[in-house]
Amino acid sequence: MDASSSPSPEPASSTSPPTATATATASDERVWRAGRLEPMPIRELPKAPPSVHLLGPTVFLVALGVGMGESYMWPRLVLIFGPEIRWLFLIGVTLQAFVMLEMARYAMATGESIFFGAARVFKPLMWFFFGTAILVYIWPGHLSTGAAAFEQVTGIPWTVTACVGLILVGVLFSLAKVIYPLLESLLGLLIGLLVVSTSIVASMVGRWADVTSTLSGMFHFGYLPGEAMSATWFPVIVGAIAFAGPSGMQQMWYTLHLRDSGAGMGAHIPQIRGLRHAGEQEAMPSRGFMFDTDDPEEMKKWKGWRRWVTFDALLLFWGITMLVTVSFTVLAQTAVRVNPDVGDLIREGDREVALTAMADAFASAGTPVLHGVFLGFIALIGLNATLGLFDSFSRGQADMTYHFVPGAKRFSMSKLYAGFLWGVITFGILILNFGPADGPGAILDVLAFLSTFAMGAYCVVLLLVNNRMLPKPIRPGILQNVVIGFGAVFYLGMLIYSLVRFGVVI
Amino acid sequence: MAEPSLRHLGRLALPGAAIGAFAGPAALVLALVAGQPADWALATGVALGLPLALLGGGFGLLMAAGVISPGVFAPTALYWLAGFPLARLAHEALVGLLLVGRPVLPPDPAGFLAYQAIVSLGFAIGFSWLYERIAPGWLRRIRHGNPRAERLYQFYLRHAEAQWKARESRRQARAAARAASGKGAS
Repeated sequence: MDASSSPSPEPASSTSPPTATATATASDERVWRAGRLEPMPIRELPKAPPSVHLLGPTVFLVALGVGMGESYMWPRLVLIFGPEIRWLFLIGVTLQAFVMLEMARYAMATGESIFFGAARVFKPLMWFFFGTAILVYIWPGHLSTGAAAFEQVTGIPWTVTACVGLILVGVLFSLAKVIYPLLESLLGLLIGLLVVSTSIVASMVGRWADVTSTLSGMFHFGYLPGEAMSATWFPVIVGAIAFAGPSGMQQMWYTLHLRDSGAGMGAHIPQIRGLRHAGEQEAMPSRGFMFDTDDPEEMKKWKGWRRWVTFDALLLFWGITMLVTVSFTVLAQTAVRVNPDVGDLIREGDREVALTAMADAFASAGTPVLHGVFLGFIALIGLNATLGLFDSFSRGQADMTYHFVPGAKRFSMSKLYAGFLWGVITFGILILNFGPADGPGAILDVLAFLSTFAMGAYCVVLLLVNNRMLPKPIRPGILQNVVIGFGAVFYLGMLIYSLVRFGVVI
Repeated sequence: MAEPSLRHLGRLALPGAAIGAFAGPAALVLALVAGQPADWALATGVALGLPLALLGGGFGLLMAAGVISPGVFAPTALYWLAGFPLARLAHEALVGLLLVGRPVLPPDPAGFLAYQAIVSLGFAIGFSWLYERIAPGWLRRIRHGNPRAERLYQFYLRHAEAQWKARESRRQARAAARAASGKGAS
């Protein structure tokens, strides 16, 4: 009997042997039993790539993360409360770096997504994330903001840009022979443009004094002016902390990118292909794999992978996020220096007004280029977010549908991916033309709540998955567990406090 | 090993120099969009592109000489930590020289250099990202009769072969598994 077709009759791994020497099936194939789902066959862990390939899947996360939080939310808070408020950003972004490393732990050890891991712990947990993703991410709000900024620069109506952008995204991903390399090149290029341009702009317009106040602001732990604790601003601050770096479910989707790029045991899982080449799709295994954690050679390779992902995470994610956000904050401070009224303008305005106010403030700083550059960045970020979010959303939903919806396996993973992708694009076009892009106003609060709640929930899921579903030698240490536990309390605590104290969510 | 000729050195320096020089047109466009006069925009483009092209070329030569390991980010970041602020300082001075006939330094040179050093991280990431993608293809073209290019190219080749072998073995393992399950079914 093949191990892959023999569901484990044994309970979760907490009662299984502590290492991957776990058990042998009737065919003598060694497997690792985790939860009530199919056990994972033991396979060889490939070697970590040389440092040449260090710039890897994190590009996606950065593409998703360097978004509104960095370019808009934090500079806006700095304009109102001063750079001292940035200590909260430091906490948010550091927390996300830990979360990322822990997400990678499970994905690289098993070749499974974190959704699969959640299902191994308790299936309804996975369905919660499935539902949340649909509710939160089908609204094309991120693209409409970018397209609105593009309209201000070029005069092209935003709905036209947004619809063309959506169709372009769908066609690109459907025609790709193998989706991952295309996405990697495309997003890599866009992110490269963003980072290099930001560096040059920041290099030419910023000042040492701005950066010292920005950096020192990050260490003003505990600074919270009275106004920040109001019903108007506290929920905004909670949202901004949650949106420091990759927010919502983006960290969970990162595990899919790790798997598809062949990181760790993901090397044993086939890549998803575009719809045009769906017929060439290899059979998708119904579970991941585990390596022999008793073998010192394998553990040596595992340490290599951990180094790889740590470098990947810290350099690209933490480094770029900090760089871009520091640069935007420097720009914001340049604006305040020239136009001290900008804080009041932003205090009074909504998002669009505030975006224009910031762009105008930059222009009035004697450097009119900043008006166009700022809005251009917002447009680029909107496009980046759309590319990354739609692809990730479709991957995540296809993954869960393929493995856990009865009968879904008669479609290939690529077809399911295409179905979700074109589904969200079609819905997006309909909403852009006939409805509110951010979602119906009445449920906006619920969606925002769900998004932040999902972040607290995935911290809990991470603790359960990594401590119960992995062999002991590769489980997280006490520091990682404490930080992730703090993350769960932090996100959920702030959310509930906001709800109870002010009666509003972010 | 015989000393490489100037032509060989020039070819080794080209990818890094091209990436560095790219900053010039970027600054030029930036200045034009900002509404600066064409001569000012041109001066700023040349003054920034030139030092960065020289430093980018120098980076390629150091890598070819084995001083910097291919693909490793830390030395690249260190290189630009020193190089980028100097390039910006040269930029400021050159713009002054080209426009008013004498080099003009920023009012607070120490603060200026410290600030540029922070920004250099972003430039280093972009540079490294592009270099690792452009250099292997270029080295393949120039490696004949150029021992340093050949040595560097062999490094990238070994890496690409290792990746290819890993992919092939995965593919074969899956094909074998499919064939076995097909037999089982029949």
